[in-house]
Amino acid sequence: MSALPILQLKAVGKSYGATRVLKGIDLDVMRGEIVTLIGPSGSGKTTALRCMNFLEAYDEGEVWIKGQLLGYRLNGRAERIRDSDESIAEVRRPVAMVFQQFNLWPHMTVLANVAAPLVLSKKIGKGEARRKALAALQRVGLEHKADAYPARLSGGQQQRVGIARALAIEPEVMLLDEPTSALDPELVEEVLSVIRSLAQDGMTMVMVTHEMSFAAKISDKVVFMEAGKIVEAGPPAQLFGNTRTPRLQQFLKPWFDRSLSPTPTSTPNADNAATTGLNPPEAALIVTVTGRGA
Amino acid sequence: MNTPDLLTRCLGYLPQLLAGALTTLWLSAVAVLCGFFAGVFIYTMSASDSALLSRAARVYVSVFRGTPVLAQLLVFYYVPSAIGLTLPGVVAAAVGLSLNTAAYQSQILGAGFRSIPRGQIEAARTFNLTRRQTLWRIEVPQVVAVTLPALVSEMIDIVKASAVISVIAVTDLMRVGQQLSSSSYRPLEVYTLAACFYLAITTLLSLAAHGYERRLAKRI
Amino acid sequence: MNAFLSMVPRFADAMLVTLEVSLLAAFLGMIGGFALNALRMRFSKALAIPYRTYVWLVRGMPYLSQLVIVYFGLPVLGLTMTAAQATIVSLSIYAAAYFAEIFRAGWASIPHGQIEAARAFGIGRRAAFRAIELPQALAFAVPLLANQVILVIKESAVASIITVPELTMTASDIVASTYTYIGPYAMLIVCYWLLTQAVALIAARASALIPFLQKTS
Repeated sequence: MSALPILQLKAVGKSYGATRVLKGIDLDVMRGEIVTLIGPSGSGKTTALRCMNFLEAYDEGEVWIKGQLLGYRLNGRAERIRDSDESIAEVRRPVAMVFQQFNLWPHMTVLANVAAPLVLSKKIGKGEARRKALAALQRVGLEHKADAYPARLSGGQQQRVGIARALAIEPEVMLLDEPTSALDPELVEEVLSVIRSLAQDGMTMVMVTHEMSFAAKISDKVVFMEAGKIVEAGPPAQLFGNTRTPRLQQFLKPWFDRSLSPTPTSTPNADNAATTGLNPPEAALIVTVTGRGA
Repeated sequence: MNTPDLLTRCLGYLPQLLAGALTTLWLSAVAVLCGFFAGVFIYTMSASDSALLSRAARVYVSVFRGTPVLAQLLVFYYVPSAIGLTLPGVVAAAVGLSLNTAAYQSQILGAGFRSIPRGQIEAARTFNLTRRQTLWRIEVPQVVAVTLPALVSEMIDIVKASAVISVIAVTDLMRVGQQLSSSSYRPLEVYTLAACFYLAITTLLSLAAHGYERRLAKRI
Repeated sequence: MNAFLSMVPRFADAMLVTLEVSLLAAFLGMIGGFALNALRMRFSKALAIPYRTYVWLVRGMPYLSQLVIVYFGLPVLGLTMTAAQATIVSLSIYAAAYFAEIFRAGWASIPHGQIEAARAFGIGRRAAFRAIELPQALAFAVPLLANQVILVIKESAVASIITVPELTMTASDIVASTYTYIGPYAMLIVCYWLLTQAVALIAARASALIPFLQKTS
């Protein structure tokens, strides 16, 4: 079934002054797909993500959301000009974002934070907004913190509130910008498990992350970027197990090395190692990526 | 000096001084409130992308902070009559004081605005809050909370600055003092009593600010 | 144009009066404030409360209030003075309170460890004051001192109310005699603005000259 991609980047480019940060990015995201962007810092993966909801204005190429061009329109003389704020808001309505630094609003309660986008868009009433906000908080397991202020919550809880805020607007695509990078290690798993359950429910996601094993297990497509370009893209099995790019191998090496040291969670799959000739962690990876969800 | 006589005299001055103090207070409050919104406006002008607007804002602040309040009030009271518009003293005082405090508040609030992490504004943008909503629902509440002690300090300054509106025909505390002083021929008592009123107002405001600061410190 | 030109000499004279009164009051206030703070630090037990009371009184009342007490009120006790004298006296007392607080902040900005080190190395109180505390306190205080001078210049406008022939008084005079409002008052604003900008500029240049003022706090 060749459906239209829900999110499309065509030859997207972005410069900051003289520095070209994105050099022609092509990406299709289908409905229900989980796409992960990985790469070294400075590769442009976060910039690419931020172009997808026009948080950054891209300079070249096109970003399409559900068949509508984002950020620009053609004027009477068929020239491309920047769209009005209202039109941009309309086109990116189906897209929600989760931030690395959570970016909750500290002077509002958790419930107010989650409900604010709904209330302030004026399209629904306060009562209904409250209901949806509570439902979203339930989905992430934090409805009991509805009246607390963000400062009282742990980092993991704050990020889950951020996820609830994104969920409350009932988005069709979620953009996640390194959702666990700002968290203490012991808080990372609670956020990952929420993301995992959303993925299992069929949410379309584009995520920038350094959590390689999580990316490997959860993604339908992994995109490796470097120096503003997509170097390799494909299913996790290909990028993590059978990569064609030496640069990607180099990038992943420290992670593989670390996985070799005994960790309580990983169980090396010795049988697989024998048959495929790969190191035990890589082999374990191949087994787990064949099924969705872990 | 006969003390009981002095006391009766002072009690006699009280009602008028009180009336004058109330005028001083409500005019100052009006000025601070209007000045707050004007201050937010001037700050957004100064932070705008337009070079013209930010220049205009800087000139405004420079002029209102670089010249005496009395001179500003005289301008607002007398210049309109040059173009045929007679402003009552109270109006000129309110306008002059508001515009004056707006310049100072724009600087105070500006520091508050700059302390808000950019990420919160980005989040507001991605969730399609309009610029106006972002300003008043996300930024301003936090700015006020953070700058409240400085704002109260500014209000104290306005109360003190308001003493010169007596010159443009406003029956404030100072003007009452002048009237009483000339009618009673006892300037020392009257002016000292009036001064005590000012002292009481500023001291109460100060204590309120300190109390708030202590409460803030406890919450952290 | 003629009317405008005829104003200039009068404003020039008035500006001189404003400068004389303000700078004299600022100077006296600065010395007074410095002395007050120094005494407060030296005799802290005895002077703490009087100092705080003085600062509270002066900073809690409008300057106009203090001026009229000095000019109209003191004669009742037998003390008469000219308007200019009353202005300089009251403005100096007013400014001294603010300057004292500025110097207090300047000293408070010195990390206490430095004073301890001085004591540990046997450096006497006087010498430590001169060589270690003073330079740093002043460096901290200079921008605040400059700002206070500007405040004194602005506050001097109030003296127009007791008919000291400074800028504001002169402008009002011209307005009353010529029935033109915009010219004189515009000139008034410009004069004050030039004065305050000049002081700010001089202060900036001066602090650029002192090397260790460059360090950020």
